[in-house]
Amino acid sequence: MMADKTVDVLIIGSGHSGGMAAKVLTEKGISCLMLNAGPIADMHKDTEVKPAYALPFRGFKQPGRLAHVFQSNEFNANTWVDEEEVPYTYDPQHPYNWVRVRLFGGRSLFWSRQSFRLSDYEFKGKSHDGYGDDWPISLADLAPFYARVEEIFRVRGHADHLPQYPDGNFVPDDSPWSGCMQRFRAAGETLGIPVCKPRSSMGVDGLASSINLLLPDAFATGKLQAMPNVVVRELRTDPRTGLINEVHFVERLSRRELSVKARVVVLAAGTLESTRLLLNSGLGNSSGVMGHYLIDQVYGPGIVCSVPEARDGRSTPQLMGGGALVPRFRNLDRKAPNFLRGYALNVYSSTGSMDPRNFAAYGQALENKLDSYKGSGFSTGIMGEVLARYEHHVRIDKNVVDAWNIPALHIETRYTDNEINMARDAVDTSIAMAEAAGFEVLSKNYEPNPPGYSIHELGTCRMGDNPKTSVLNKWCQSHDIKNLFVVDGSSFVSGGWQNPTMTIVALAMRASEHLGEQMRQGSV
Amino acid sequence: MKRREFVKAIVAASVSAKAMLGQKAAAPVAPSVAPPAAAPAPGPVPWMRGLLEVKPLAMTPLLPDSVAQTTARFFTPEQRAALHRLCEILLPPLKGYPGAVDAGTPEFLDFLISVSPAHQQHLYQSGLDRLNAEARKALGAPFASASAQQADQLLQPWLRTWMPDHPPADPFAHFINVAHSDIRTATINSQAWSQAGRRTPDVGLYWFPVDPDMRRQAPGQGEA
Repeated sequence: MMADKTVDVLIIGSGHSGGMAAKVLTEKGISCLMLNAGPIADMHKDTEVKPAYALPFRGFKQPGRLAHVFQSNEFNANTWVDEEEVPYTYDPQHPYNWVRVRLFGGRSLFWSRQSFRLSDYEFKGKSHDGYGDDWPISLADLAPFYARVEEIFRVRGHADHLPQYPDGNFVPDDSPWSGCMQRFRAAGETLGIPVCKPRSSMGVDGLASSINLLLPDAFATGKLQAMPNVVVRELRTDPRTGLINEVHFVERLSRRELSVKARVVVLAAGTLESTRLLLNSGLGNSSGVMGHYLIDQVYGPGIVCSVPEARDGRSTPQLMGGGALVPRFRNLDRKAPNFLRGYALNVYSSTGSMDPRNFAAYGQALENKLDSYKGSGFSTGIMGEVLARYEHHVRIDKNVVDAWNIPALHIETRYTDNEINMARDAVDTSIAMAEAAGFEVLSKNYEPNPPGYSIHELGTCRMGDNPKTSVLNKWCQSHDIKNLFVVDGSSFVSGGWQNPTMTIVALAMRASEHLGEQMRQGSV
Repeated sequence: MKRREFVKAIVAASVSAKAMLGQKAAAPVAPSVAPPAAAPAPGPVPWMRGLLEVKPLAMTPLLPDSVAQTTARFFTPEQRAALHRLCEILLPPLKGYPGAVDAGTPEFLDFLISVSPAHQQHLYQSGLDRLNAEARKALGAPFASASAQQADQLLQPWLRTWMPDHPPADPFAHFINVAHSDIRTATINSQAWSQAGRRTPDVGLYWFPVDPDMRRQAPGQGEA
């Protein structure tokens, strides 16, 4: 970079939301500089196929490392942010699993690819049940952007015509149901519970990341420059205008302090990192709600079953295999007795070996069970809405800093009776459906994983029409600072049960088009 | 070496490095040549010379478990004996595969738990102590001397079905079931199991540290 040069748009973060912002803005001819906290991964240099026995801990996680990343193992440990390098704090009674990736491309490199639209049961939740707040936008506002995002991500799905499971611009999924899924669907029908095809991004060559779907287009314009290995410390405003004009950052390895001038800043560092940066900068919080209304999704509760007809070598591709999705069915027309909102169920059928934890046996008896039950596995897992609450919040912990001397985040949240009761209902309903389908339930879990586990942290800079009760307007633009946009998941007002990726990317696309237009008009 | 002689030697080394670079001035800079600013090597020849041209050795690096025994030193002798017996009982040799003891699992777990956080150490230590106490109560002897049938009577009531990340809440059931899972993992992931091999070993894509930071500790700070 040349000194004293002002960047048109500075984008912080290279994941799905930053990638979409870069694509939209550069395709409009706007020059962008992207900063990313971590290095660029090179699969040829950075990975090698190895047997577990050749690893230092035989495939066990290195003890004490990444204690809050349940998704980590000894093979992939080096892809996650180390919580000693970038610490965060929490009440030990109420831990939070903050699961982060700082490699170029961020968490878009590793995600489950479930691709859903939010429905107006989420956008307009308060209007439906009186709880919380409505979003300032509805599905109709976002639908055209969803459609374009779904095309880029090549979302495979089946149109089900359910208002709580809005259809999209799908690569049609007309695959037949396996026998066990047909039985589960029939069981759902008797209980009034829809069982649908899952929807997920096929991407290109099996990858649906910003590094292969979004950033190549941006770089092809010649308008995008990107700098890995720089950790942003602070945004600063021009006291005369109140607008952001400088971004201060640290070179990751050398600790050299640098700054760059920018006309507009687009924050896309991931929900909690974007909020942390704003809180550390003391900007954009005239409402006082920044950091509040942290939400995520309940994961963990579910069941594991066996399909008896598939045991003892009788598992066939016609009977077993495939997946399903039970979209939210609670609190649509009738009120559930002890919780608001709802959950979806991920449903899988497995043709492989069963997890030995599903049998209270050992030695030869366990081997016999594993042999007999092989190929008969069937499981469900919850994806549940977490209610947005003011008291569930993040703030800066001034006593703890990261490896670059940047103050850490303190995260204060917990699941309440609403989430616990919802989880119980999800497991009991799963059992009722599985037993009605004739499956043997082997194990069940009612206990939610710690908050954060879903890697779907949302909110903390929520959007709204009222600058006194929200941080961003409906264009993901700061109410206080016109040249600041936050395009990751922090703008969410409520989270729903849906994997939020499609919504984040659609919102980033919509916000970036709005920004591009504002820049063209000279109003930003 | 007196200081003056030492300085002279440093100067000589730096001169010869410079001379060597001078001879190659016309050629493109090769990675095997020390950059001019680097500290001079203590000798007439640059340290890295020739490494780029060397052919890989015809060798397969040996892993420790293929020839060496792990030194177990964390658990007390009685805890260790109970863990050894637990391994024999829970995962004996089956279908031509080595059992947990053949795979060195008791010693490996002694090592793994020795470097684990305190709560994990406590889980194993108190669990093995409880196992011995239960055996003494039932048999008048520690768990290590329990027959297969006696061990079954002690273990069976505590076996549970459970899902990952959610082990049983009761502390002793927690220990028995987590230890069972750990014993299986340590054994099935062992080199001995892999070599017995009709089944493919648990291979995966291992990620090296990507451009790692040295995590320098700044003065007055805790571990960064």
